[in-house]
Amino acid sequence: MGRVITYIDAITEALDQEMARDERVFLIGEDIGLYGGVFKATKGLQKKYGEYRVIDSPISENLIVGAGIGSALVGMRPVPEIQFADFVSPAMDQIVQQAAKIRYRTGGAWSVPLVVRICCGGDVGGGLYHSQMNEAWFVHCPGLKVVMPSNPHDAKGLLLAAIRDPDPVLYFEHKRLYRSVKGEVPEGDYTVPIGPAEVKKTGKDITIVAYALMLVWGMEAAEKLEKEGISCEVIDLKTLLPIDKKTILESVKKTGKALLLQEAPKTAGVMAEISAIITEEVFDYLDAPVMRLAGLDVPPIPFAPPYEKFYLPTVDRIMKKARQLKAY
Amino acid sequence: MKVAYEKPPSETPSEFGLSPKEKKELYYLLLKCRMFDERFRKLFRAGRFAGTYFSAVGQEATTVVPSYKLLPQDFIGPAHRELGCNIVRSPLKVIAAQIYARANSPDKGLSHPCHYGYKPANIITPASTVAGQSVLAVGVALAYKIRKEPYVALAFVGEGGTAMGPWYEAVNFAAVHKLPVVFIVQNNLWGESVPARLVGAFEDFSHRADGVGMPGVSIDGNDVLKVWETTAPAVARARRGEGPTLIEMKTYRWYGHSEIDPADYRPKEEVEYWKKRDPIPAYEKYLMGNKKLTLEEKKQIEEKIDKEIDEAVEFAEAADYGPVEWVLGDVYADFKADAPDRP
Repeated sequence: MGRVITYIDAITEALDQEMARDERVFLIGEDIGLYGGVFKATKGLQKKYGEYRVIDSPISENLIVGAGIGSALVGMRPVPEIQFADFVSPAMDQIVQQAAKIRYRTGGAWSVPLVVRICCGGDVGGGLYHSQMNEAWFVHCPGLKVVMPSNPHDAKGLLLAAIRDPDPVLYFEHKRLYRSVKGEVPEGDYTVPIGPAEVKKTGKDITIVAYALMLVWGMEAAEKLEKEGISCEVIDLKTLLPIDKKTILESVKKTGKALLLQEAPKTAGVMAEISAIITEEVFDYLDAPVMRLAGLDVPPIPFAPPYEKFYLPTVDRIMKKARQLKAY
Repeated sequence: MKVAYEKPPSETPSEFGLSPKEKKELYYLLLKCRMFDERFRKLFRAGRFAGTYFSAVGQEATTVVPSYKLLPQDFIGPAHRELGCNIVRSPLKVIAAQIYARANSPDKGLSHPCHYGYKPANIITPASTVAGQSVLAVGVALAYKIRKEPYVALAFVGEGGTAMGPWYEAVNFAAVHKLPVVFIVQNNLWGESVPARLVGAFEDFSHRADGVGMPGVSIDGNDVLKVWETTAPAVARARRGEGPTLIEMKTYRWYGHSEIDPADYRPKEEVEYWKKRDPIPAYEKYLMGNKKLTLEEKKQIEEKIDKEIDEAVEFAEAADYGPVEWVLGDVYADFKADAPDRP
């Protein structure tokens, strides 16, 4: 058994090791220096690397990302932080019109090796402005890569891969997983490649596709369902753009049934795309309609504790939906 | 025009005096900008290239002069009316090819006419969200500061773009960190069709600098030497690590926002007033008065430019559009986009 650490410690370790390895890497964001980040993801880094490698920015999200992009144009490896995914909207122009398009609009002459760390996710009592899952906004932007780890091993490996990637990567980290999920993480250098999904559990009846918190809850549901005689194959998507179609389609061809989990509101989410891919490409293998279990189509996420529980695709709801799908 | 708010630059102009040879070169560049621009307006109306054309006639001094004598590592973040920056730093053929969107364009025809950019010139191809490149310029300046390199970034924007929130975030951050960047606000009185009076509650847009603790100065942007004497010290100051400067240059866009805009929202008298304040004849008069330019030399310069433009147009027109497969490349470094329904 190797060393076991939390999801957030894996992130901090990746940042620390990459800053030590590559002097082009710097961080910029709100409360990340003196305070070490509102969740302490950057704890101790400003003291270690100085205030121009861990820059405490004003409340200026457009600038946080845009300054990162500009610096990347002249050879830096910036890792700006968006404190809460809900606050990424002021930076949309820089992400969508600059980062995503610069390689394209310059005919490949310039590139933007940038990683925007975005803290996201619910089940933390964060309410309307500290819980959002808005990854789908960016999955609609060719030119970006979007990743979202569900465990500490991938959190470190995907972050290192993202910083070394020649293109802009949005790295979503789920705050509910920061300290609730622990796992084995190598102490040394390694990367988890951007792109491939991973079969976390094999099964024969249903393919569950999920990422981040939904993956964790999907796995929990799958273990319980196993005892009821329902065998689920669980795929951790890990990279949302580009989508690893092959891993999903091979699994669905085997099981004939797909249950897609999504924490964000249901309409036009990432799983709508996965559903379309499945029906377009392996329709003949399906034994049931593709089913989605997602957040509700309301502004995410209503605050009062019973409201939040009502909103979320909980383990019980996943199990119920899986039973429906099995019985179809 | 009134220039009510003017702080003197910290250096005396003589420190940044141009040699007679440089003054003549500046004249050549200004004239080249004007002649190229007028030629391309005609070419657009003759249907020789697609899209539209954004003329910068009347605004040559505000783009050509600040771009002159920069270092190759200095960066320029333009919008779409900064032809002059490119005239100084990029080959004319490259500029023409960009407008024609042919295979020999630096952007391979993927961007839009007048979205000039050229990596060897360190000018980034702009997005149309006009203040965006000012934010990028601040990021470039931040990199130079982190690396302790003596280079600067120039951020060009119109008075219209200064109303954008992101521009304010950029100037504020640059001031806080004394970044090596010079913000050049070309106030041409019109943001497409919206007059400057509906954009700022003052006549001098250099007031935008007051709120962020940055030196700001408003000058006559059609006075070539004034532009030089203001910009050069600001660039030198930035290069020394003493921080950013905002320079408002009052100028005028002679024609429409683009060639499909008749610009009939502007009073005729205003257009005529500004055409009389044309930066190029005024500078020419200065040079001739000081015996730094003769009529004969002027004629030779014009002939030389005409020939260069002819060659640039030939270069662009001789090329084909790129193959459609190029649409799928340059999205990512490591893979191409799919096109399953485009056999």
